[in-house]
Amino acid sequence: MIGARPTPEEPSLAREGVVIRGLSKRYGDTIALAELDLVAQPGRILGVAGPNGAGKSTMVKILAGEATADHGAITIDGEPWSSTLGWQRVAVVHQEPQLFPNLTVAENVVVGRERSRWLRHGVNASERRLLEEMAIEGVADRPLASVTLAIQQRTEIARALAQDARVFLFDEPNSALTEEESDDLFRRMHALAAAGRVVILVSHRLAELVAHCDAVAIVRDGRTAQVLAGEALTQEAIAQELVVGTSARDAELAAAAMEEGASMLRLEGWSHAGGEFVGVDLDVQAGRIVALVGVEGSGARELVRSMAGLEPATGRAELSGQRRDLAGASAFVSADRQASLFSNLSIGENLVSRLGDQISGPLGVLRRGRMASLARDAVDRFRVKAHSTSRPIRSLSGGNQQKIAIAAAIIGRPHILVLEEPTRGVDIGSKREIYRLLREYAAGGNAIVIYCTEVPEVFEAADVVHVVADGRLSPPLLVRSHDDVQGLAAEITRLERHGRPGQSEQTLAAAGA
Amino acid sequence: MSSEPRILDTTPGGTLQERLRFAGSSIARIGGLLLAVLVIAGVFAVLSEGRFIGIANLLGLLRAMSTIAIVGMGLTLVIVVGEIDLSFGALYGLCATVLAVSWMNAGLSVYGAIGLAFLVAIAVGLFNGFFTTIVKVPSFIATLGASTLIFGFTLFLGKTQTYNPAYPATGRPLDPAQLSFFTGLSNQALPFGFPMQGLWMLGAALLFAFLLGRSLFGFRLKAIGGNPQAATLARLPVRKYKFAAFILAGMMACLAAVLDFAFVGSASPSGGQSLLFPVFAAVIIGGASLSGGRGTVVGTLLGALLLAILTNGLAVLRADTFAQQMLLGSVTIGAVVLDQLTRRSGR
Repeated sequence: MIGARPTPEEPSLAREGVVIRGLSKRYGDTIALAELDLVAQPGRILGVAGPNGAGKSTMVKILAGEATADHGAITIDGEPWSSTLGWQRVAVVHQEPQLFPNLTVAENVVVGRERSRWLRHGVNASERRLLEEMAIEGVADRPLASVTLAIQQRTEIARALAQDARVFLFDEPNSALTEEESDDLFRRMHALAAAGRVVILVSHRLAELVAHCDAVAIVRDGRTAQVLAGEALTQEAIAQELVVGTSARDAELAAAAMEEGASMLRLEGWSHAGGEFVGVDLDVQAGRIVALVGVEGSGARELVRSMAGLEPATGRAELSGQRRDLAGASAFVSADRQASLFSNLSIGENLVSRLGDQISGPLGVLRRGRMASLARDAVDRFRVKAHSTSRPIRSLSGGNQQKIAIAAAIIGRPHILVLEEPTRGVDIGSKREIYRLLREYAAGGNAIVIYCTEVPEVFEAADVVHVVADGRLSPPLLVRSHDDVQGLAAEITRLERHGRPGQSEQTLAAAGA
Repeated sequence: MSSEPRILDTTPGGTLQERLRFAGSSIARIGGLLLAVLVIAGVFAVLSEGRFIGIANLLGLLRAMSTIAIVGMGLTLVIVVGEIDLSFGALYGLCATVLAVSWMNAGLSVYGAIGLAFLVAIAVGLFNGFFTTIVKVPSFIATLGASTLIFGFTLFLGKTQTYNPAYPATGRPLDPAQLSFFTGLSNQALPFGFPMQGLWMLGAALLFAFLLGRSLFGFRLKAIGGNPQAATLARLPVRKYKFAAFILAGMMACLAAVLDFAFVGSASPSGGQSLLFPVFAAVIIGGASLSGGRGTVVGTLLGALLLAILTNGLAVLRADTFAQQMLLGSVTIGAVVLDQLTRRSGR
């Protein structure tokens, strides 16, 4: 066995916790992990951050047993570990829990354990305690599919505890949770650490990494570039390690966007057929990025989707001053990458998948050469990190896949580009690239509408934001009239709370833009 | 900087290479299948002491595979778009029966009768498309139901009889010109004794290879089959294409039925019932994925050829029927297993 190479200055580390040494993994000619070293001690929370494509997800996959390493060794408490030796030792809590949606919460906790022969009666006293500890005993008999994401995650934790897992790996666990739910999740993480278990948190959110982790390892190009701890652990320090560098041109374009432009999309008395939003009046100018914010159930998501013709709505919709069918003039990109990419097609084919006339000639003959050149242009323009456009789409990292999804919508040159949470689960470097991509497309005289759930995204990406509460639309807030995210967040919260927005001193009219 | 974009494939030779790699996985698949066909043919050639590779036998193979290949190409479209069609066997019987009854009993001309058979096939395609895309019954159930429904209707229509144009039930002989046209569809004397049905098959293969591999229709078919949800959000014409796939599959079943009827000289309602397994086997051996988004015409042709070789070779060797059945079943499963193994190692 290879085991850990104990170094003189860390003798105890090799005995306790997770020690990863020289972990390597290649996918074809892509090197995902290049001799990654990582040490996670029990009783502490180790953060892992890195740009997309850095190798984080490969590491998570190996620990979750979904992939096997080419080289390297993992030890847990000094014993060699691999997913075949003891998968129960490592519990991975994903953004979307990987459980059985058709079973009840309690069944999910106990399923798969050898000693329970009858699922229905399989919950014993210690498991009952676990259910209580995770505050899910009240919903124990509900089908998993019917409970919230946060409860599903707690079910996953309870299940791992029932299996006596030693290591808890949280992979972007709270990107779809509300603030209260994430706070609760972090409390549970601290409790796990305090109980002497190993906790690893993979996240893109710098503030949370700093607030909750004892140390943060920066993974870059398949290896651990640096471990920040103590005084050195600040948001700025992490950001510095991650960010590609932002261009001054983005700011210029954003400034240009606020000049009075022609109306691109105008909605009047726009109401949802199912009553999710009522009597919305909205004006989106060409060249602007408009964000709509609203909690689930507020009608914001439906309103955004209706602008792409994906939700039934009535009222007057004008495009550049003329009544038109919105579906034909817009392109929609879902927040869920699984719903926007074709896994059986190559990167290049995905990029041109929405095109018709541009890639076909008479008799519907496909113009393969043109497809390839369009794809190469797009990969260059959108700075996708890809070896070749003919590789499978899955060979790309999450952030680059998201760029492809958005680029595929932009290539068709829609007048209105409609996106849901365009950077969900994307690292900070790719985030900036995506914002730049959107900014440039808007600057070309198009309108962009995004559905956002996070204020920092609104602050970074949008020119104007509307809050949707109880199916009603607030007057526009100018993003640039707020100096920082906190100010904007406070204003948005105020509008959300009041539902019917009153007289906001920060409205577009008042700001005199 | 490490996070800069790197290694973009901009080499001058990139275009051709990329175009080849667009089809990379299916090329490997088809190469493997071709190899399997050659090896099995070689084994039979040796075992049968050369009888197997006689010209007459090889041309016979071409005819033997044509029915499965023609129906299989239609099914390939349906499977690529992510649906399934279990009704083609019953439809095959219905088309032959409609042709026989309308021509021999109802007094329609043979041309009208063939046209009517194709209209019936289109109607069944519309029926399958309607229940699958609009009522949203899973196509497995919709076409399974359609299959039984069609078979029952065929028995009713054909009064469970076998029809032979040479001996019409009405007693009135058919127009000799029409009769010879009909027989000629599959029995034209071609140079070298080339089977007429083989020619039909090659013609259809050219058309379908273009459709699936070289047209916008095929590209979108693959996208829709690969991720129907994404296709819907990207506003690809999902319903229209699924309708088209079902209709084309129905028309191919009809074509095979007409050609076989003309070749054999008789038709019965249950004619297509035995097609279900070999056609599916050919398409699956050919590399089409039942989860959609993947499949080629060349693959389906090779799959049909492989099955024809096995059946014919075993017949030449006088193997028992049960041995043939067991071998065909094993080969089908084996092909899929092999495919998964190579796919996994290719990652």
